[in-house]
Amino acid sequence: MKKVITGDHAVAIGAKLCRVEVVPAYPITPQTLIIEHISDFVYDGELDARFLTMESEHSVMSAAAAAEAAGARVFTATSSQGLAFMHEMLYATAPLRLPVVMVNASRTLGGPPGIWCEYNDSMGARDSGWLQVYVEDNQEALDMVIQSYRIAEDKRVLLPVMPCIDGFVLTHTVEPVEVPEQRDVDSFLPAYDPDIVLDPARPAMIGTFMPAEYIMEMRRQTVEAFESAKKVIKEITALFARSFGRDYGGLIDTYHMEDAEIALVTMGTVTSTARQVVDELRQEGKKAGLVKLRFFRPFPSEELREVLSGIKAVGVADRSISYHDGGPAFNEIRSSLYGMNIPVIDHLAGIGGRDVTEGQIRKMFEITQRAAEGEKVKIINWHNTRGETV
Amino acid sequence: MAAQTLAEAAVIEGNYAVAFPFFGAERRGAPVLAFTRIDSKKIYSKTQVYAPDCVVVLDDSLLDTIDVVAGLKPEGTVVINSKEEPDDIDLGVSVRTAAVDATSVALEILKAPITNTAILGAFAKTTGIVRLDSLEDAIGTRFGEKLGKKTGERNALAARTAFERTVTGRSRGVKKLEPKKQWLPTYQELPAGGALIEGKTEAGLIGPGSFIENKVMGWATFRPLRDKEKCTMCLLCWFYCPEGTIVRISDRGDLMTNYDYCKGCGVCANECPVDAIKMLRARV
Amino acid sequence: MKIRDLPDDDLFTAGHTACPGCGVAMSIRNAIRILGKDTAVYVPSSCAAVFGTSFPYGAWKVPFFHTAFENTGACLTGMQAAFEMKGKRVTAVGFAGDGGTYDIGLQSMSGAAERNDDVIYICLDNEAYMNTGIQRSGGTPFGAWTTTTPVGKRIQGNRSFKKNLGDIVIAHEIPYYATLSIGHPLDFIKKVEKAKDIKGFRFLHMFTPCIPGWKMDPAKTVEVTRLAVESGMWTLYEVENGEKRITYKPGKMKRVKDYLIIQGRFRHMNEDDIKKLQMWVCRKWNLHYKEKGTPEICEIELPEEHHAVTEEHREMHGP
Repeated sequence: MKKVITGDHAVAIGAKLCRVEVVPAYPITPQTLIIEHISDFVYDGELDARFLTMESEHSVMSAAAAAEAAGARVFTATSSQGLAFMHEMLYATAPLRLPVVMVNASRTLGGPPGIWCEYNDSMGARDSGWLQVYVEDNQEALDMVIQSYRIAEDKRVLLPVMPCIDGFVLTHTVEPVEVPEQRDVDSFLPAYDPDIVLDPARPAMIGTFMPAEYIMEMRRQTVEAFESAKKVIKEITALFARSFGRDYGGLIDTYHMEDAEIALVTMGTVTSTARQVVDELRQEGKKAGLVKLRFFRPFPSEELREVLSGIKAVGVADRSISYHDGGPAFNEIRSSLYGMNIPVIDHLAGIGGRDVTEGQIRKMFEITQRAAEGEKVKIINWHNTRGETV
Repeated sequence: MAAQTLAEAAVIEGNYAVAFPFFGAERRGAPVLAFTRIDSKKIYSKTQVYAPDCVVVLDDSLLDTIDVVAGLKPEGTVVINSKEEPDDIDLGVSVRTAAVDATSVALEILKAPITNTAILGAFAKTTGIVRLDSLEDAIGTRFGEKLGKKTGERNALAARTAFERTVTGRSRGVKKLEPKKQWLPTYQELPAGGALIEGKTEAGLIGPGSFIENKVMGWATFRPLRDKEKCTMCLLCWFYCPEGTIVRISDRGDLMTNYDYCKGCGVCANECPVDAIKMLRARV
Repeated sequence: MKIRDLPDDDLFTAGHTACPGCGVAMSIRNAIRILGKDTAVYVPSSCAAVFGTSFPYGAWKVPFFHTAFENTGACLTGMQAAFEMKGKRVTAVGFAGDGGTYDIGLQSMSGAAERNDDVIYICLDNEAYMNTGIQRSGGTPFGAWTTTTPVGKRIQGNRSFKKNLGDIVIAHEIPYYATLSIGHPLDFIKKVEKAKDIKGFRFLHMFTPCIPGWKMDPAKTVEVTRLAVESGMWTLYEVENGEKRITYKPGKMKRVKDYLIIQGRFRHMNEDDIKKLQMWVCRKWNLHYKEKGTPEICEIELPEEHHAVTEEHREMHGP
C-alpha cells in the first residue's frame, strides 16, 4: 500500500510491522514523531507492545538493554543530545550482544544548541559497538528498520543497529512510501529467539563484573561479530530485494560507477540530491560516479577499495567534523584506500543543518575533477561557509 | 600498605623504589598481591614482578592453595608469617626461608591480627635490603600521618619485635603444588556477550551459583565452634551468617558448619542468645 | 513466616567475596531466600555487583543482570515489561546501594516509582560509597568520617544530615515502602514477604552496616543495627497505600552516643557535634513515636531552624 508520510511515520510503521514488544521512549526533536506514532499504535491496540514513557534517554537505553536481556524485541528512537545522554548505555548494549534497534534522527549535537541535521551525534558513537546505517529517503528508512532486526538478531551478529535518518530532511518531510504487507514482513523476519535470556527456569548471568583475563577476548569476539555482520548484511540485503523488490546494494550502493573516472562518496540524503547532479554531469559527458556509504559500522573498506579501484580522484562529502584533519568519513575512507595512490578530497558541507544544494555538490565534483587532472587542490574544503570558502 | 612502606624505607636510604598493588575485586580480608621494586637508580618498568628476589607471605594458609614461590629466583628468599620453624615449612622447593609468628606479634602489640608492619621487620632482618631504623621511620610516616602518632609508634614496635623474633633456615621441597585451575576460553569459546548459564569446565563450575568454587577459609583468623549441647536451634546464627557457612539441614533438624566458607567475622558468636558459639584461633 | 519456616536453600551462595561481617551480604541472602526463585535481579555498580559476581563465577542462583550505576529503576522497568510481554510470572528485583539510590540513581528510581511499575526496589543503605572506598553519599549521617568528609584541622566529618529518602519515595504514592534492619529478623521477614505479595512499585529500604566503612568489629554488624534502632538513628516502619505504621517501637530511647561509640567513623566527634546529631535524632524520634512523648534525653532546647541548616552548613554553602 502506498502512503504519503514523513520519515518519522515510516520508521514507526516499520517498527510496528516488526512486532516490537517493548518500546521505552523519551521525546526529542526531530525524533519525537516516531514515538508519538508508536504510542498511537499501542493505545489503539494496533501493536501489542509495552510502551514505556521513561524519564531520560539514559533510562531509555537502560530499559531497552534490560528488556532485550529478558528476551523481548525492543525498539526505540533518539537524536542528538539524547544519544549523547545515553552514551554510557550504548557501550553496555553492544558488547553484551543485545540486538536492540534504535533509530537516530541525525541532528547537531550542541553546543551551540541547534536542531537541524548534522552527523556529529552518531559519529560520537561510532566506536560503541553499534552497527550504523545512513538512509537517503523515507522508503529506505522504513525498509531499514525491518532489515535491521533481521541483521541484529542473526546469531552470527547479535549486535544493536542504529539506522540514522536525516533530521527534518527526512523526519519531517512527506513522500510516497510503499508500506509492506504484515504477512510479508512476518515471513521475512522470524520471531526473536535468543539462546540465553534472564529466565528463572534457566538462570543466566549477563553483565557480570569481568577481570582482565577475559575482557580482551570479549572485545575480540565483538570485532568478529562485526566481521560476520558484513557478510550477513549482504545476505539480508539480497533476501530483502527478493522478498520486496527493493535492492539497497548492501554495505554501499553505487550510481554510475561502472565507467566513472571520478567519484563522490556521500551519506544520507545528500546522496539523493547527488544522484541528480551525477545525471547532469553525465549529460555533459563527464564520467562522474557516486558511492553511497550506507553502513558506517561495520565500515566497508574492502567494498570501497574494490569500487574505487581505477578511479582518478575521490571526493568525500562529510556532514560533521572531527576537529582533526577533516571529517570522520574522509578519514576512514583515506585509511581504507591506503596504498592505492588515489587522491582523496574532503568536502565539508551541510553542518548544523545548512542545506546541501546541487550547486555545492557540483562544486565538490569540480574540485575532485581538478585533483584527478593532477592539480594540487586543497585536501579539506569547506563548502558554503562565510570567510574562506571554496 | 606493606609494599608501600617498604618502598618508603628504601627511599629513606637514598634508593629509588616503586610499590603497587595488583588490583583485585575482592574485599577486605581477602588475599591480595602487591609488589615492590627497589633499585639504586630510577625504575622504568611498569609491569608486575614475575621473577622476584624475595617473596613475603603474610598468611601461611595461602601455602596450601597458591604456589607462592612461582618465579622466585633460585637464590631468592621467602619470608613467611608462620608459627613453624623455617626448616619445617614445605614450599615445594628448598630455598632460603625466614619465619616469624607475625600474627601473635600483631595481636600482642596492635591488639588486632594486622600483620603488615610486623612482617616488614622480618623482611629487614632476613634480606638486609632495608635497615630496621629506616623501616621504623617509614612506618612512622605512613601509619603515623594517617592514623596518629601512637599508632605509628605501635606499628614500628611490631616491626622491631618481629625483627628480633625472626628465624632463618631453608624450606623443605617435598610437596607438589597443583596450580589452581582457571577457565580461560578463547574468544571463539567465550559465550556471546559473556552471558553464562550454569556450566562445568575442566576448571570447575561456572555461571550462576558457581562461587562455591571459591573457598574463603584463608580469610579467617578466628572460626566458630558450636556447642551442640547448649544450642537451642533458634537458627539466628544461620539467619545472620553472611556467608552461608552455617548450613541448615531441615530433615535432620540440624546445623552444620562448613569452614570452607567461613571468613571468621564472629557475628554468629556475638549473636548467639545462649552463648553456645566460641571463636577460636583458626591457625598460627 | 518465622526464621524456621525459611527455606534451607541458598539462592545467593557461599564463596562470594564480601568482607567478613558484611551487612549487605546478610541482607541480600535473606531477602532472596524469601523472594524465592521466580525472581530476576538487577544489581547496579556497587559492592554487591562485585562481590556477587566475578566472571565466570557468580553467587546468584536466580537470573542476574548488571550494566551501570544510575539505572536500577529503568532496568527493572525494562525487565518487567519483557516478562509481562512474554507471559512469564517473574518479579524484577533491584539491589542498589545508597549512592545508587539517594544520588546518581534517584532519577531512575523516581521514574519507576512514579509509573508504579510492578517491581521491587531494594536499597542497601550503608551510608557511603563503599565500593569506591568510603566516600560521602546523600545517605551519610552527620558527623561521619568518610574519605571525602575527612577529619581535618578545620572541618571534621560530614557536615550535613542524612537525606530523608523515605519521604521522597513515599511522596510517589507507591503501594509499599518499608524500612528494614537485619537485626530485627521477624520484622525483616514480614516486610519482604509483604512486598513479595503486593502489586506495583515496592521499595524496601534496608539498613546494612559496612565493616570497613564504619570502622567497626565485624562481629558487631547485627548489634549495631539494634543500637541504631534503639537510639532512633534508624526507625522501623512501613507505609502501605499511604497508611504509615510503626512496626517496631524501641523501649527507652538510647543515647545516640551509645550508637556512635562502637564505630570508628564517629570517634572524632566532639560534644557539640554529638549534641547536634542528638537533636536531629530527637526530632525524628518525636515524629515517629509521637504518642510515646518526648524522651528525657531530648529535653534539651531545640533551635527553631530546620535541622539541616547548621552553622557549618552556612559557612560552607551560604544561608
